[in-house]
Amino acid sequence: MKEVNIEVLKDASLRLMFKMSDEEYNTLLQEFDTLFKQMAMISKIKDVDSVMPMTFPFNINTTYLREDEVYDVISKEDALKNAKEVKDGQIKLPKVVKQ
Amino acid sequence: MSYLDLSIKEIHQALLDKKTTPLELTKEALLRAKADECNCFEYICEKEALEFASSLNKIEENNLLFGIPYLLKDNFSTKDIPTCASSNILKGYVPIFDATVVKRLKEKKAILIGKTTMDELAMGGSGTSGHKGITFNPYDKSKTRLCGGSSCGSAAATALSITPFALGSDTGDSVRKPASFNALVGFKPTWGRISRFGLFPFAPSLDHVAFFTRNIEDAAIVLDSLSGRDKLDSTCFDMDATKAFDNINKFSLKGCRILLLNEIMDSFKDEEIKNKINNFIDLLKSKGAIINYVNFSKDLLDAVFPTYFVISCAEATSNNANLDGIKFGDRKQGNTYQEVMINTRTAGFSELIKRRFILGSFALMSENREELFIRAQKARRLIVNRLNEIMKDNDILLTPAAPSIAPKIKESSDKLSDTYLIVDNHLALENFSGMPSITIPFTFKNDMPFGINLSSKILQEEMLISISKEFEDLIGLKGVSVLNYSNYKKEDK
Repeated sequence: MKEVNIEVLKDASLRLMFKMSDEEYNTLLQEFDTLFKQMAMISKIKDVDSVMPMTFPFNINTTYLREDEVYDVISKEDALKNAKEVKDGQIKLPKVVKQ
Repeated sequence: MSYLDLSIKEIHQALLDKKTTPLELTKEALLRAKADECNCFEYICEKEALEFASSLNKIEENNLLFGIPYLLKDNFSTKDIPTCASSNILKGYVPIFDATVVKRLKEKKAILIGKTTMDELAMGGSGTSGHKGITFNPYDKSKTRLCGGSSCGSAAATALSITPFALGSDTGDSVRKPASFNALVGFKPTWGRISRFGLFPFAPSLDHVAFFTRNIEDAAIVLDSLSGRDKLDSTCFDMDATKAFDNINKFSLKGCRILLLNEIMDSFKDEEIKNKINNFIDLLKSKGAIINYVNFSKDLLDAVFPTYFVISCAEATSNNANLDGIKFGDRKQGNTYQEVMINTRTAGFSELIKRRFILGSFALMSENREELFIRAQKARRLIVNRLNEIMKDNDILLTPAAPSIAPKIKESSDKLSDTYLIVDNHLALENFSGMPSITIPFTFKNDMPFGINLSSKILQEEMLISISKEFEDLIGLKGVSVLNYSNYKKEDK
């Protein structure tokens, strides 16, 4: 497992597209310390690695296929309603290719 | 006394008898909402509610929710009504569609009074982390005790009798724990029983639509109205709506097999409440219930919280990746689109949310995935297997819903203690397994409420509600609220 230190956390936060203060990273380091102690309790469970991971509470057997019907169409105006900057029917962002 | 203090059935009768109207009920609910001092609201829908209520003229005799005011946690999509999940990143966001549950309540002509505060993006269990600050426990006049969360505003407002019911969501215990701290019925049905279309996802393998009421009968009415198939949610059961209200007296305590877990009862340290629970268990026995005690496995129970934490943070980090301020949300300026996203997310999320996203993202990194995320999912399977095994020969799992009454706002707990790991977090068992689970008011200590929790095998909501009603009759706190609690106290003496 990857070692946890401020650099690793800074890298993780930038990959998640946000920044944090040094104080916040320190709180997070302490939180990791507690989590690892708690995770050690999971490792204590007998035969924990002998089962398949559970991704949902139970299987729901869907026995029908949805018809390929047009149901609810969002208008262009609605789709753009919540975007802060819109130009010519499109969401406007800073230019990617600079001159 | 106002009609809003009554049960849904009683309000319905008053409407039929023309003693009140949907408009009068709405005006009263709006007055109460505006007088709120606990920080329950993100948005009060005054104009929308008054307009809708004015259009409701002919009372529908067979529709118990007709003209009944209600509230929604602010993580349900509501067309043309601002919805921000108590997060700055969604400031100003106005959904363009209704969640399925909102649509169903609209069809029933229930009246939406407001959107309620919550822990930011439903992450957190205290009711303190929303962007509008702490939501206070309405039973605590000194404002020093937690309301509980994440569905804090819905809980506080229902306890204040602003409306007879309010919707919330429950991923770890976010309705059932605050129900305990606010003397409410808090119900999370089977995973897949109610459509989640339009509920902002936090951790979809654990998320449930849930709700608060002040009595069991009302919980049955709300469940019947919200449940049933929905082609917009592929995880929703292809089944008809429940008929819990019609079957509310169908099951009896006589012969009902009630299970208690030794590890939870042993780790429960509030002796005053524990004595009351033990006396109550004797009462259940005298009514013909069969009480069974079983060892669950301490190792498995110790693992519930870390399992929950790793799975929920990992799912959350991925589900909230769409909050970038570009298509919607409170976009900040930047010279590149990456800078726009970074500045938006840095300003938009609180510290707690960022920490949880990093924890989740760390658990998903290729070097860590097997040891953290996958292992937590394996632990989940073993925990659920054990739960299903012990429930096989039992009808109801009975537990205290919390370690005690609501803790003080700044009180910290030892995160490695049995009290924290086992008594404070065991309600996630029903999120892991999808079992229906209901918290009901049980007692008061120092004028603060405390609830017990009942759970059953999946899809047995009708039995669970029926038995919960028997419990409610024995306990004698049906309909209790902040406004009428003093009357119950007199009777108790």
